[in-house]
Amino acid sequence: MRPILLQGHERALTQIRYTKDGDILFSTAKDQVICAWFSANGERLGTYHGHQGALWTVDVDPTTTLLASGAADNTVRLWDVRTGKCIKVWDFNTAVKRVEFSEDGTQLLAVTEKRMGFLGTIVVLDIDPDVNAEQSDEKKLTITCDESKATVAGWSYLSKYIIAGHEDGSVSQYDAKNGEIIDNVQAHEPDMPVTDLQWAPDRTYLITSSKDKTAKVLSARNLEVLKTYVADTPLNTAAITPKKDFVILGGGQAAMDVTTTSSRQGKFEARFYHKVFEDEIGRVKGHFGPLNTIAVDPQGRGYASGGEDGYVRVHQFDQGYFDFLYEVEREQARK
Amino acid sequence: MSKIANRPDWADDEEFDDPTALPPPTITTNKDGTKTKISYTFNDAGKKVKLTQRIRETVVREAVPPRVAARREWAKFGLEKGHPVGPSFDTTSVGENIIFRPSVTWKRDKQEGKDVKEGDGGVVPGGGIDTGSLKQQLKDKKVKCRICDGEHYTMKCPFKDTLAPDGVDGAVGGAAAGAEGVDGDAAGSKEGGLGTASGVYVPVHLRKGGAGATGEKMGGKYERDDLATLRVTNVSEMAEENDLREIFERFGRVTRVFLAKDRETGRAKGFAFISFQDRTDAAKACEKIDGYGFGHLILRVEFAKRAT
Repeated sequence: MRPILLQGHERALTQIRYTKDGDILFSTAKDQVICAWFSANGERLGTYHGHQGALWTVDVDPTTTLLASGAADNTVRLWDVRTGKCIKVWDFNTAVKRVEFSEDGTQLLAVTEKRMGFLGTIVVLDIDPDVNAEQSDEKKLTITCDESKATVAGWSYLSKYIIAGHEDGSVSQYDAKNGEIIDNVQAHEPDMPVTDLQWAPDRTYLITSSKDKTAKVLSARNLEVLKTYVADTPLNTAAITPKKDFVILGGGQAAMDVTTTSSRQGKFEARFYHKVFEDEIGRVKGHFGPLNTIAVDPQGRGYASGGEDGYVRVHQFDQGYFDFLYEVEREQARK
Repeated sequence: MSKIANRPDWADDEEFDDPTALPPPTITTNKDGTKTKISYTFNDAGKKVKLTQRIRETVVREAVPPRVAARREWAKFGLEKGHPVGPSFDTTSVGENIIFRPSVTWKRDKQEGKDVKEGDGGVVPGGGIDTGSLKQQLKDKKVKCRICDGEHYTMKCPFKDTLAPDGVDGAVGGAAAGAEGVDGDAAGSKEGGLGTASGVYVPVHLRKGGAGATGEKMGGKYERDDLATLRVTNVSEMAEENDLREIFERFGRVTRVFLAKDRETGRAKGFAFISFQDRTDAAKACEKIDGYGFGHLILRVEFAKRAT
């Protein structure tokens, strides 16, 4: 496969998101601009201007009409995907590290940083899916994380739960209606922050990555750890591929250590593991720095990775990727 | 025939009228469905360049949901506002091809590859690594004499003069293995007995009862002596071998005159080789004839370079 290199950012990438159809991808970096790209040919559709600080996160609603972003300027902004206009700004006390639309696009959650005497929170906002509608200012729900701040969060199936990963390596489950904590499990090593949380296509299970060099698949219903993937480097991101039973992990040593190690041993590769058998089945090289974010095309045709080096690499899978099967899988298919 | 018919007559060449005129690009369709496009351009040095491209057109039909198709028509905005359709070169480029083939044994393969790499890393001065790898290769190999199976080299065997090496039967005997040295001691394996071990390919010339040890040399009866051969270039098209012989014979005995001729037209190609019996004569001829006017051209003579 020939990756497409996108050079729209001047600083390290922070998050990439595909639309539901997989035709457009959005990328954010620490340089205050969101870029929208066509995934098929790497053409840039446009850029979204308005944030005054490093962008940490972006998400697009299921109909590709609204785009939400969170940044270090303490705001969440809502954008018209088509024109690049900013529709709404919500102000917070601290930086916003993660936003995510619910499955139906009517709610948005935002994870705020713990800083300047404010505790980390998870805030739920109501969204009107109409572009021209007036969005409400009200914060429908605020979950305060008093033990350890949340670093990532997401909506489970039917927007029933909010699952959050914390700085102390634990994962907790909240009721999405009233914000009460239902469960909290120490999924990763203590004091190893959870760095990413992404969903399976049906949102019944999720994958978390952590600095403790592992990624885990958890059930959304009871937070049971279903699978563990062990890597040899701290992980920044993990994603589950549709169509094929794989997971993709990305990492590399911390950005501050990069200059002291050569890129050959730097482990700046996307690692593919088999989702069920937990075996590593291959790696894809290319970045000059640690991988900060990986996003998978919801249609399963490819994936994109963003690195500390400021590049986005968009990959379309070859036939060999789709043909790969374990012997037992082949036998099962024959029956 | 059609080829000749298509070839333009030099008299019709319009280049004389306008030196900057370029022939129009031609596109021909080949039998296998590809197209050949021939176009002409001037390069930076002002030279005319002919560019032949073979083009295969494939139509990839892709069905996308209507909403995706509609999004493709969206106008660009932000930094891209007003830019034409299609990826721009300053933001988008294509990376080198990556071969990604998922494999169950990926980790094991990688481990092995790493070992090999570490062993091979031959840039280290002094070849320390290289000897290391050789040692590694021979790690579990024991020295074994091919004569008596003892733990010493065959050449150091006390029975060397009295016994034939193991695995060589009487027919081939010591003649093949010992004297010719076709299987050096280093080979050190049972393949030593050429033509005896079944299943191993043995080249024809080494087979028992085959042709002699050395094959017949190609290239005819006499060997060309390159030391006394001159190469003459810029020879007139109308020249004959006899003319050249006349010119060169006055310097000494000429053993051979070869004038390259075009197979179809029978005309000289413009170069020739003259062999002298004596190298001093050749040197004299080279000195005198180089620059000599012959026909309407000036000959250029130099010693022929040995064909490699």
